[in-house]
Amino acid sequence: MTATIDASTRRVTTAKAISEAIAQEMRTDPNVFVMGEDVGPYGGIFGSTGGLFDEFGATRIIDTPISETGFIGAGIGAAVEGMRPVVELMFVDFFGVCFDQIYNHMAKIHYESGGNVKVPMVLMMAVGGGYSDAAQHSQCLWASFAHMPGMKVVAPSNPYDAKGLMISAIRDDNPVIFMFHKGVMGLPWMAKNPRSIGPVPEEEYTVPIGKAAVAHEGSDVTVVSISMSVQHCLDVAEELEGDVSVEVLDLRSLVPLDREAILASVAKTGRLVIVDEDYKSFGMSGEVIATIADHDPSMLKAPVQRVCYPDVPVPYARVLEYEVLPTRDKIKAAIAKVMG
Amino acid sequence: MSHVITFPHMAKDDDAEGVVATWFARTGETVKAGQVIAEVMVDKVSLDVEAPVDGVITCLVEEEGTVKQGQDIARID
Amino acid sequence: MISDDTRVQFYKDMVRIRTYEAALQRDYHADKTPQWDIGAGLIPGEMHLAAGQEPVAVGLCANLEQDDAITGPHRPHHLALAKGVDMKAMTAEIFGRVTGLCHGKGGHMHLFDPANHFSCSGIIAQGMPVAVGQAFAFNRKGTDNVAVAVAGEGAANQGAFHEALNLAAMWKLPVIFIIEDNDWAISVARDTATPIKDGSLRAAAYGMPSARIEGNDVEAIYEACKIAVDRARAGGGPTMLEIHTVRLWGHFEGDAQAYRGDELQEATERDPIPAYEKRLRAAGLLDDEAVAAIQAEAEAEVEAAIAFAKESPEPKPSDAYLHVFA
Repeated sequence: MTATIDASTRRVTTAKAISEAIAQEMRTDPNVFVMGEDVGPYGGIFGSTGGLFDEFGATRIIDTPISETGFIGAGIGAAVEGMRPVVELMFVDFFGVCFDQIYNHMAKIHYESGGNVKVPMVLMMAVGGGYSDAAQHSQCLWASFAHMPGMKVVAPSNPYDAKGLMISAIRDDNPVIFMFHKGVMGLPWMAKNPRSIGPVPEEEYTVPIGKAAVAHEGSDVTVVSISMSVQHCLDVAEELEGDVSVEVLDLRSLVPLDREAILASVAKTGRLVIVDEDYKSFGMSGEVIATIADHDPSMLKAPVQRVCYPDVPVPYARVLEYEVLPTRDKIKAAIAKVMG
Repeated sequence: MSHVITFPHMAKDDDAEGVVATWFARTGETVKAGQVIAEVMVDKVSLDVEAPVDGVITCLVEEEGTVKQGQDIARID
Repeated sequence: MISDDTRVQFYKDMVRIRTYEAALQRDYHADKTPQWDIGAGLIPGEMHLAAGQEPVAVGLCANLEQDDAITGPHRPHHLALAKGVDMKAMTAEIFGRVTGLCHGKGGHMHLFDPANHFSCSGIIAQGMPVAVGQAFAFNRKGTDNVAVAVAGEGAANQGAFHEALNLAAMWKLPVIFIIEDNDWAISVARDTATPIKDGSLRAAAYGMPSARIEGNDVEAIYEACKIAVDRARAGGGPTMLEIHTVRLWGHFEGDAQAYRGDELQEATERDPIPAYEKRLRAAGLLDDEAVAAIQAEAEAEVEAAIAFAKESPEPKPSDAYLHVFA
């Protein structure tokens, strides 16, 4: 169910929206619990579990040792026995130490069992850079998860979607990778992104997994993006109003991918820009283009412009990192190029 | 009746300055008692500030500007 | 027996590290006001400082040669400095300058100095298998060099720790595993993550000798490391040492540490440097003049390194595309 937003809706950060979603589900379903590093009194390194320890205590908000294979595997075990764990992997970049549990077990058990065993688990994680955390703490990597069959992948760009997607993720009987970009969290100790604070209804509501949202309607060019980059796309779309009519499509989910929404928008505009903070090659942008190419390449009036993180590890120095990040200037330049 | 909200005393050092990191409500909006209207920070410790009463809020300080603990930061009428 | 000169050198080395960490702390925060922004300033990003852990670095590295290897964790400065990494190049890297060890590509958690065989990684415990590999290479080359993996007590609960110890013991490699137990894995207390009080017991499960060193005393650490290093050089295989130390500051700079409660105040009373100074003064090895001179020398070196960093040019934006491949 959706919920209405009006002028009286209170504004909160995405971090608060996520922890509120988890709290609301935990109040109604005793099977939901949270596990991860520093999710307890600390409230999660990026605020995803703020306030939960005070309300639910140590039996349901569980600080773990630094044992990702161990506790993600434990989450899988609890899930197959009917619980609904919300497990946090602190940084997506740490998936290297535990990916077997994720892609060979969490994602495959339902299939391997012929549908007999379900894994109703949420694996949430912080993604993204822009604040000089360098190669091992700044990645997005959603394409790597999306590529492996058997797990849903969502990455909200704003507080409203974050709460709705988290509630959907917890209620989903499938494993859901929930990726929150650090810049989208609205944290007080990072550079302020105004769109990371927004109206979020107090009641529970869902946002469907697998459905994109037209974040800004337009008719000249389709800009497809996900997570933090959507905020930059919206800034550019608003700036170009009157010059170029930009349609911003916020994918919100990568698995399932809303191919209908992509096709509908590009059928309307004929021009496509893709903005992705994950590495360019073999990723999200290629899959979006393939969606067009598979269906009807003649709907494109011009070659696609990709504003993606290049195929380089994340550099430390700020001047280097901002050379490679998909910034507003690059998005504007890509729109200008595709408009011809 | 006007209700003034002050920046909370959060640090051991009373003179330590802080910031209103984020305003969740804007001047002229109606807020409800208990609603979180701001996130404030002193020495990297952050705290939510709630509206004590229902009413229309006036924000008295800018986001990210330096504020003294105890200083008036908002008014609710 | 540790000579008097060595003892004073230990003190100097620890003061040098503390002075460095304090200066970095100052400069890290200086331009992040009034609204603290982790990505802002001359030193952006995360910063993990090792105040309190100086005895581990100094006691260990006094036993190491230039061609011995260290893989360090996300909190690496004390180890890098004690190992002999050039302070200016290291500082320039932390400031993201082209004159830095890694030309601004790596930053504070990814310091690479091949001449000193020093490297560090931001992923917990993942330096341990790498040190095993370096020891493997030293063995094959027929040198008597050793590799040392340094990680925290939280890392001992990570799979890579167990695999690395098992391999090292199976292949009888000249590698030493140092666990710096500073009681905290960010906000998670050791007692809530590790069921045994003495983590060195785990080494027995892998068939290697071990010890737990209490007291955070540079001399005791030196002696314990000496036994381990000598054993490795002589072909006696690996050793694991769990060294109880103290994390005087936050896990990262900006960590309010509310989760530490009263323990934070108690921890400051365990500062190893004033304690060691007191012992050396009582032994007649230090006086006010000597202490002041040592402090002044450390400050001069540190401020010169920071000045070098600040005056160094930034990398060209197009450098971001370099070095993906050799």
